[in-house]
Amino acid sequence: MAVTKKTNTQLFVDGILTENPIFRLALSMCPAVGISTTVMNGILLGIAVLFVQVFSSCTISLIKDHIHPRIRIPTYTLTIAMWVTVIDLVLAAYMPVAYKAMGIFVKLIVAFAIITMRLEMFASKNNLGPSFWDGIGMGLGFMFAMMTLGFVRELLGMGTLLGYDILGFKPLLYFVLPCAGFILVGLMMGMFNWIEVVYNRRKRVKEL
Amino acid sequence: MKQIIHITIALIITCVAAAAVMGLAFTVTDKAKKQNEHKNVQNAMLGLLGYTKANPAPSDLTFHSVYRYVIEDGEAIYLGYMVPVQKGAEEGYELVVINLEGKFVEKLEVSITPEAAIEELERETALHAVLKPPKKFTYADATIIAKLGDKRLAYLLPGEFPGFKTFISVMLALDPNFGVLGLEIMEHEEDPGLGAEIEQQYFKHQYKGKSFKKVKGLKVVKEPLPDEYKRYLETKKWKEGMFSEEEIESIRSKYQDKDIYAITGATISSKAVTDGIRNITKKFAYRVEILDRVVAGQAVPVTF
Repeated sequence: MAVTKKTNTQLFVDGILTENPIFRLALSMCPAVGISTTVMNGILLGIAVLFVQVFSSCTISLIKDHIHPRIRIPTYTLTIAMWVTVIDLVLAAYMPVAYKAMGIFVKLIVAFAIITMRLEMFASKNNLGPSFWDGIGMGLGFMFAMMTLGFVRELLGMGTLLGYDILGFKPLLYFVLPCAGFILVGLMMGMFNWIEVVYNRRKRVKEL
Repeated sequence: MKQIIHITIALIITCVAAAAVMGLAFTVTDKAKKQNEHKNVQNAMLGLLGYTKANPAPSDLTFHSVYRYVIEDGEAIYLGYMVPVQKGAEEGYELVVINLEGKFVEKLEVSITPEAAIEELERETALHAVLKPPKKFTYADATIIAKLGDKRLAYLLPGEFPGFKTFISVMLALDPNFGVLGLEIMEHEEDPGLGAEIEQQYFKHQYKGKSFKKVKGLKVVKEPLPDEYKRYLETKKWKEGMFSEEEIESIRSKYQDKDIYAITGATISSKAVTDGIRNITKKFAYRVEILDRVVAGQAVPVTF
């Protein structure tokens, strides 16, 4: 594990770009493939994941010295389940319109690999401050990835964006199905890798 | 050994702490959540009857809920209807027990107010007081009867049936002759773009105005929805002067007795909704006639 200390802003930016959970770390592909059918779904789920990630990271980094190494995973899972339940109840009570739109998805967040992985790799080894920024970076990176996928799938699959009719017809309903989601995630991962290669090449040229 | 004890204690503490936080969140938010659900159902019911914010409900519109239970007494099975009755100046409830042949069995007083009867737990406690073991009872469904003054305006039936994915939960409005007044999709988990189109007006509004005779044999037809019918159904997109009075009437009578046009790519969801509505309507019409006959024969002072 790299022990170089990163600044908080660097953690934040990394979560969105170079260590984007879906496109670079290949974590949480399930929601990326299954739920990113519309931009609105992507935004709502992204916000929910952001909250759960930040709260869980902060909780674990506060109690990290007291977790027995043999029961790490159950502890992470219990923490995540606790926060997901709290957010689910709060949404149902105080934001019924948003809850109606994304109610089913919120309960699924417990199973997302990204949150457990982030707790294991980062929050259990770092203090509150870095964990908080890492959590926000990861959550926003997830939301950004879901919004991008949702944008392409909604526009090409249903001809609408955020519910507003843009094209007036449905070009390729195929994009709404999970199969197309899979292919699209692969293509976007390739695009991100290619961008990184080009960026590194330009950096090398500049340093010469 | 010490390690195992250590681990067990740590796990127990974590579980208890997590449970405490979740319990706290639940108690704080439960009341607001129930209020939201109740408001949602109320708005759906008023919308089905044609009352919106722009057209508020008149003051003599009242709702009366009838709850149906299945009672098991040893080998025998009975249907118990918790009906609202007029007790002097107030409303109370009575349990009218009918056997499977439609004959009256007995009538029991249930001490519960109409406001409390909305909660399932309250109904159960009140029923436990009158239906002592070995009688067992299970909740079946509810019917809400809307009355305008003294006349029955509509029957509102919440119902649930299997859809393409899991369940589809609907609120069906029938007029006093069991023709369909309207349909509202309350909850579902169908695919967006495909099965979720059952929420769209061009599917929901097809059921409006179908007579009871048509609903009893209602089927789904895999044909494309005619353009003029689609524009007629999507009332939200109506503009000024789009349809004249005669056009509306002619389109309505032309498509009144047709079967339901399926959603492209979602035949199973369309069939599920159609079959669900057909079953709910047929069963309800059969049951409500028996209930009305028994209630009249026994002179139960019902409020509906």
